[in-house]
Amino acid sequence: MSKDGNAGFIPTRLDYAVKWAQKNSLWPFTFGTSCCGIEMMSTLSGTYDLARFGAEVVRFSPRQADMLIVAGTITTKMSPVLRQVYDQMLEPKWVIAMGACSSSGGIFDTYSVLQGIDEIMPVDIYVPGCPPIPEGLIHAIMKLQDVVQTGGKRPQMHKLTRAEATDAMSFRKGSQETLFDDSKPLKGQLT
Amino acid sequence: MSKLTPKLQAEQDRVQALVAEIYPGNRVERDVNAETVLWVNSQKELIQAVKTLRIETGLQMDRLSDITAYENIDGRDGPKRFIMVYQLYSMRFHARVRIKLAVEENEKVPTLTSFWRAANWLEREVYDLFGIPFEDHPDLRRIQMDERFVGHPLRKEYDIKDRQPFPDSLPVRIAARAPLVSGQE
Amino acid sequence: MIKDIRASLLEERLNLSDFYNPQVLINMGPSHPAMHGTLRVMCRVNGEVVEDATCEIGYLHRGIEKLAESKTYHQWIVYTDRLNYCSALTNNIAYVMAVEDLLKIEVTERCQWIRVICMELARIIDHLICIAINALDMGALTCFWYLYHWREEAYTMIEAMCGMRLTTSYARIGGMSYDLPDNFDSMMAKFLKGLPKSIDDVEKLLSANRIWVDRTKDVGVLTKAECLDFGLTGPVARASGVDFDLRRDRPYCTYPELDFEVVCGVKGDVYDRYLVRMEEIRQSAHILAQCVQKIPKGPLWVDNRLIKIPAKQDVYNDMETLIHHFKIFMEGINVPEGESYNCVESPNGELGFYIVSRGGPKSWRTRVKPPSLLLFQSFEYSMKGAKIPDAVSILGSLNIIAGELDR
Repeated sequence: MSKDGNAGFIPTRLDYAVKWAQKNSLWPFTFGTSCCGIEMMSTLSGTYDLARFGAEVVRFSPRQADMLIVAGTITTKMSPVLRQVYDQMLEPKWVIAMGACSSSGGIFDTYSVLQGIDEIMPVDIYVPGCPPIPEGLIHAIMKLQDVVQTGGKRPQMHKLTRAEATDAMSFRKGSQETLFDDSKPLKGQLT
Repeated sequence: MSKLTPKLQAEQDRVQALVAEIYPGNRVERDVNAETVLWVNSQKELIQAVKTLRIETGLQMDRLSDITAYENIDGRDGPKRFIMVYQLYSMRFHARVRIKLAVEENEKVPTLTSFWRAANWLEREVYDLFGIPFEDHPDLRRIQMDERFVGHPLRKEYDIKDRQPFPDSLPVRIAARAPLVSGQE
Repeated sequence: MIKDIRASLLEERLNLSDFYNPQVLINMGPSHPAMHGTLRVMCRVNGEVVEDATCEIGYLHRGIEKLAESKTYHQWIVYTDRLNYCSALTNNIAYVMAVEDLLKIEVTERCQWIRVICMELARIIDHLICIAINALDMGALTCFWYLYHWREEAYTMIEAMCGMRLTTSYARIGGMSYDLPDNFDSMMAKFLKGLPKSIDDVEKLLSANRIWVDRTKDVGVLTKAECLDFGLTGPVARASGVDFDLRRDRPYCTYPELDFEVVCGVKGDVYDRYLVRMEEIRQSAHILAQCVQKIPKGPLWVDNRLIKIPAKQDVYNDMETLIHHFKIFMEGINVPEGESYNCVESPNGELGFYIVSRGGPKSWRTRVKPPSLLLFQSFEYSMKGAKIPDAVSILGSLNIIAGELDR
């Protein structure tokens, strides 16, 4: 390390090389739930080939993927499943929230839809659209490649721990006891 | 479908006349598409109606199309709270009959699973979203919402934005209704 | 209550761990590689044969029916796209037809022909994706790429018609949002020239293929009586021999003037369903060719000024039209009291919309009769006695769309 804090020539070159390799071989875990899933399949197919960006291997196993594309509406019933999949992925991992529903709940502001997956996990790229056209998803992946290369602008939210995500998903934040306590009436119960 | 062919229109008229003949005391009306709507007055009459409509040679309503319900909270369709709606279809005559039954809250409705297996999940959905219990249903539990969900979403009093998230996902129960393989006793 | 659930689950686990009769609980969970979205099946498996299965749905329940009570009729057209998102045009048109029945208006000739074109195009793309995914699940990846090319061509046409590929929201109450583009005839001619040849190519790849036949023949057989018992309609029922097609038996729009055949299978296995869908694509192409020839020129919108969405030039120049436009979009159309049930032959079966109206701009209750719910219920039954790979074939052939299943 030199006197001004510079990391030196070889580690920076190595760092660059590693990030270059990572960005050009992002293996997606396609968590396709609804309509955005169909557009994601269109992106993976021949006309808007995603394989040329290194996403050749679409393995449906979180252990082997490093990019999670959440395409479609995530409901409150599905959110523990999504969080478990995210927890099972190994570092380094990036998350793309594809479409309006996973970015913010979309047109569904109802009793069973999670208003954005950033309530339960940190998201790197949000793709607007309902559903975004395949060019939009490709643009997002190219932006993600920039993020990977520069290593900068990770999400504002710190990485949520499992406990914090659990708390966010809990009925009545912070008071998990009422879930198992029959003496207190729960919200929505007819009195 | 407002433009029914004349043959189908005649069929639907005949079906309505026949239903009105079999049930002279009940309210038989037609909706905007000229489909027959039969109002039954009690749960026993519902089962009778389904049996009759199924085997009557002039009707042969052999397919269950839909089971649903709607709330009658403003009282325009009678004094009771919910109206159950059954849609039956005749594959032979291509005509439809809708059966409506008014139920009060927590009043049990007989299940149609012995007639059609299709009724199983359709009734579970009505129970989940409205809270109408069905008697003798083989597997009455929530279908769309999580089992720990409190309240019935499609009721008018349930606020649309009242979210109830849960931190984990429950495993699916099989043993609730399936008998174990022999040798497990 | 939760303690009881956990206690019963523990008991179930202990009961099943018998040494001489090992039964494994396999959860084909909501995050599933077979790209069918959010379906969950818990199977009790002995070796590889499934002894019992329970299906769980609700992982995509978005409360669309509840939203119908707080949105005007026009605003809810957007939600209908998200039901069966593989063939969004059919849902739009079916819903709009139900509202038009309540309003007791009849749309123009040209509008009806355009609706038939949309529904048949939607049928083609839905069947294409069903066969592509079914083949993909069983490893025939070539068919997926090949059939997807035609989906993209169809998407280009749909985008030229209404501006959006997938979630179209094309139909409006009383008409359609845009008229057909000028180069539609040539686009359609090009599409219809290439599509049947590609279908033939895919048939050559699959129909006589030893692997395909072994994996799909006699798998997931549903007899005619079982189909009726489960209330199934659509290609799955037709493959079992139930000769029922709403386009022929209860015709709507301009189907009485079209010449097409209803395809029926014999056995009701996955192979028959695949053949039925392939032939239906050809029949739909034939219908589209007829429509393009027969479509008349004329007005697109109904003549009722309270319902018709006026053209922008009129809105900016005429006071009355401005007021109509304002009232239609800010308040909503005033629909009289009554109820209506409208069903169409969607690519999955009988898709129905049951609307109860108590007057006013918002509906009192809108119910979507989903064909996928009944299909998935029959899947529980088909799984018993089948092996796990067969279960994947059967699921692919049933074309379960989670958006419609859970709404």
